[in-house]
Amino acid sequence: MILQIIVNGILKGGLYALMALGMSLIWGVMDIINIAHGAFIMLGAYCSYWLFTLWGVDPFISLFLSIFFMFLVGYAIQKYLINLVIRATIFITLILAFGIEIFLNNLALVMWTADVRKVQVPYGAANFNIGTVTIPYVRLSAFIIALVIAGIFYIVLNKTRTGRSIRATAQDLDAARLVGVDVAKTYALTFGMGVGAAGAAGTLWAILFPINPMMGGILTLKSFVVVIIGGLGTMFGPIIGGLTLGVAEALGSNWFGATYENLISFTILVLVLIFLPRGILGKRE
Amino acid sequence: MKAWSKWSKGLLVLGIVFGLLVGMNTGAYAKNVIKFGCAMSFTGKKSRTGKLYIDSLKLAMDAINKSGGIKVGNKSYNVEIKFYDDKSNPSESAKLIEKLIVEDKVNFLLGPYSSGITIPDSIVAQRYKIPMVEGGGASGKIFARHNPYIFGTLPAAGQYFRTTLQMLAGFTPKPKSIALIYGDDKFDISVAKGAKKIAEKLGLKVVLFEKISEGSADFNTILTKVKSLAPDALLMAGHTEGGINLVQQAKELNVNVKMISMTVGPSEADFRKSLGKDAEYIFGVASWSPQMNFKGIIFKNTKEFVKIFKAKYNYDPDYHNASAVAELAVYKSAIERAGSLDPKKVRDAIAKTKIETIYGPVEFNPNGQIKGSSVVLQIQGGQVYQVYPKGTKKPIYPMPKWKERK
Repeated sequence: MILQIIVNGILKGGLYALMALGMSLIWGVMDIINIAHGAFIMLGAYCSYWLFTLWGVDPFISLFLSIFFMFLVGYAIQKYLINLVIRATIFITLILAFGIEIFLNNLALVMWTADVRKVQVPYGAANFNIGTVTIPYVRLSAFIIALVIAGIFYIVLNKTRTGRSIRATAQDLDAARLVGVDVAKTYALTFGMGVGAAGAAGTLWAILFPINPMMGGILTLKSFVVVIIGGLGTMFGPIIGGLTLGVAEALGSNWFGATYENLISFTILVLVLIFLPRGILGKRE
Repeated sequence: MKAWSKWSKGLLVLGIVFGLLVGMNTGAYAKNVIKFGCAMSFTGKKSRTGKLYIDSLKLAMDAINKSGGIKVGNKSYNVEIKFYDDKSNPSESAKLIEKLIVEDKVNFLLGPYSSGITIPDSIVAQRYKIPMVEGGGASGKIFARHNPYIFGTLPAAGQYFRTTLQMLAGFTPKPKSIALIYGDDKFDISVAKGAKKIAEKLGLKVVLFEKISEGSADFNTILTKVKSLAPDALLMAGHTEGGINLVQQAKELNVNVKMISMTVGPSEADFRKSLGKDAEYIFGVASWSPQMNFKGIIFKNTKEFVKIFKAKYNYDPDYHNASAVAELAVYKSAIERAGSLDPKKVRDAIAKTKIETIYGPVEFNPNGQIKGSSVVLQIQGGQVYQVYPKGTKKPIYPMPKWKERK
């Protein structure tokens, strides 16, 4: 039984990691705490839901469409909205993100009502056994997709010109501008990538869980915790943070009872902030 | 160009003046009106179920007004409901109830949705001595405060699972153990505590009794425990989304019990739509189902209500909807019997209510809660059927294992 619980935790951690990847990227590069992250996950979920419901597009295909669509949304929001206040203090971007969240939630509420919906695919709950441990396919895929996206982010950031300009902007804005990096465009690209990853998380969420317009709030919080635990500045931070949180929640709710799931998450957050203020993988200065 | 804009401005002013005049006219010639106040969850966490109450109350209001209103002595009054959005927030709701009484000067109050919000609202109603009939809160705590102004049309939460457990104990071979999980919510806690007592009396062992945090989507740990304890039945007191998560994850982790039953969920269309075939064989509890048939006060009978309701809103009504209709039926009968709009007299008439509505017979206990119990439902072939104590179909038990289903 304890083995099953640890496996549950690891798989859930994969989903957490996928959720937090985008938030970590945006935070690390632009110093924007994207409160609207959960709302973007929600939009990604609805994107796949409608593609599935209206045209029968399988969620694992609409995954790519949802990433692409959310990339465009993110790119546009950064270019036409956030870039206008990016020079202001962190509070202004925080408030702007907060406003975007409220706007998106209520827009979704008006357009799609508060009905609970779910992508109803036949394989939604399919599973296989290894010994006594049961492993659901979709959760395993979420785990693998999280690793793949983290890998892609890593390659893009470290091996391509775009990635180098993103990192350069993160390290020293003025120097980056001096050597000819188009900062506004770089920011828009980064935000697009982060929001695209949120879209992927949303698609997988819609296969596993019911969705509704207000689902984003708690997801933003969880992503936030994962980012802090994992540490900023590396793409493997969210993975480590997600796994830590997933396993800790699974074991904790087994020992202390399911009511304490959130208590456990935030206790870990506080402990990490006290003992490892830059997160488990965060860069020391 | 200039002349044109002058013209259009003039027209606009004329239009506004005309509009105002028409507005005033309808006000002046309107019939006598009884004003009801209601703070309901239009937005926020409870808004999905809140909408069921809003739809029903509006439909019942129109039906009353079309058939001549409510008679007080020789005069007949139209019904008007003043709605506010409580954002699913108890303290907001209590403030709005106060506003309805003090500023809008409503005659009577209708309840909000969910037990947690009903408690503060009922305290405000008591303070101003205005009766409140509510159909959305069933926790015993609402009725344990010796508040003479609160009346509820949902049966006591602690009794919700009684019929389910009686049915379970009657199966052969007799089930031995159950697992009970419940949300962190006043109503769910009352349901679970009541069910635990009843189960133990019936000789069923409660092997797991655990609270889950509301809003959590993850049931993996609990289901892993259930799998290792292997009870005969899994009972959950929670809300629709939790129910969907529980069933989906039970299948994901291949947890096979002989019966899964839950309070809210199976009776709602969203639940069946979200789970599709996996919703089969799930049991539910309700104080009402559309398959019942009762004579009514506002509508001719249950069948007619269901027909009119579906034609207008294009979804199947469930017990929330019927319970909301019962609220207005109680008021109509009580106000007509009292022959007055005096809150105290109407309150006394409500306490003596003994009527039949499309929701079933309504009679209140001295604490203000309805006398009555719930029926057991089961999803079979994509439809919800009443299966116990009487029913259109027989209960299917045990439910087939996940891997043995087609």
